[in-house]
Amino acid sequence: MRLRLTSIMVNNQDQALKFYTEVLGFEKKHEIPMGQYKWLTVRSPEGPDELELSLEPNANPDGKAFQEAMFAQKIPVAAFETADIDADHQRLSALGVVFLSAPQAAGPVKIAVFSDTCGNLIQLYQVVV
Amino acid sequence: MHFDHSTFRRLCDARGLLALHADQPLGIAEAARAAGMSPFHFIRQFEALFGSTPHQYRIGLRIDRAKRLLASRELSVTETCLEVGMSSLGSFSTLFHQRVGVTPVAFQRRARTMVRVPGRLPTALFPGCLSLMGLLPAAAFQPLHSRNFREAKPDPPSLG
Repeated sequence: MRLRLTSIMVNNQDQALKFYTEVLGFEKKHEIPMGQYKWLTVRSPEGPDELELSLEPNANPDGKAFQEAMFAQKIPVAAFETADIDADHQRLSALGVVFLSAPQAAGPVKIAVFSDTCGNLIQLYQVVV
Repeated sequence: MHFDHSTFRRLCDARGLLALHADQPLGIAEAARAAGMSPFHFIRQFEALFGSTPHQYRIGLRIDRAKRLLASRELSVTETCLEVGMSSLGSFSTLFHQRVGVTPVAFQRRARTMVRVPGRLPTALFPGCLSLMGLLPAAAFQPLHSRNFREAKPDPPSLG
């Protein structure tokens, strides 16, 4: 078994693609129409090359309830690693991204939390050993 | 942009308030007041955090509820429109079509052909799985080299 794909539920796939590529800086890997939705994945230009993140439409009422509850409890649904969290914080802030916490030390990492505007909170972390 | 805990809390509460009163004509100004913000500021902050304006968010809730009502109750499209808190049948149908991909009438017709279990929504109409959402043709599950999505025909899937 290998880890090659992980996914995140989004409110709107078009909006998500825009945010994950134009704001976060990922690249679109697949966009395959599937009825009203699409199989939509992005990858990071910083690697790992094989790993894809699927931006999944959140069409199920139970899924929406879960997503909104996690959000309201400030629980991030995913964590992305960065080599320079302060630079990313600055760059994303300038693009209008909402941060709930600025980068702060937490043991061996520095972490920050932002909203992906698609219904999720994402944690950004940098390993600082 | 940085939101402190209080701002975050108030916006989440305001979203909850809009959800609670989605079928009522609760004004955005009222929700803004509950959040302790000016309407302009409230709409801007709400959109920055949640990715949609309060108005768009509420439309989404109403359309979601309309889907459930059309699938589970014997209401006409007009009755459903009024029940979810929308007064114009025209804009209801347009918004429904935009967001769901089919008209309310077509959605209801499709729902009525399905076997209904009381208390449960038909999974084909409320999918939580991509292959169900897109009614993915069997061809999509073939190995990558022999796969051509453009040519894939939307045959009914035989998914468990």
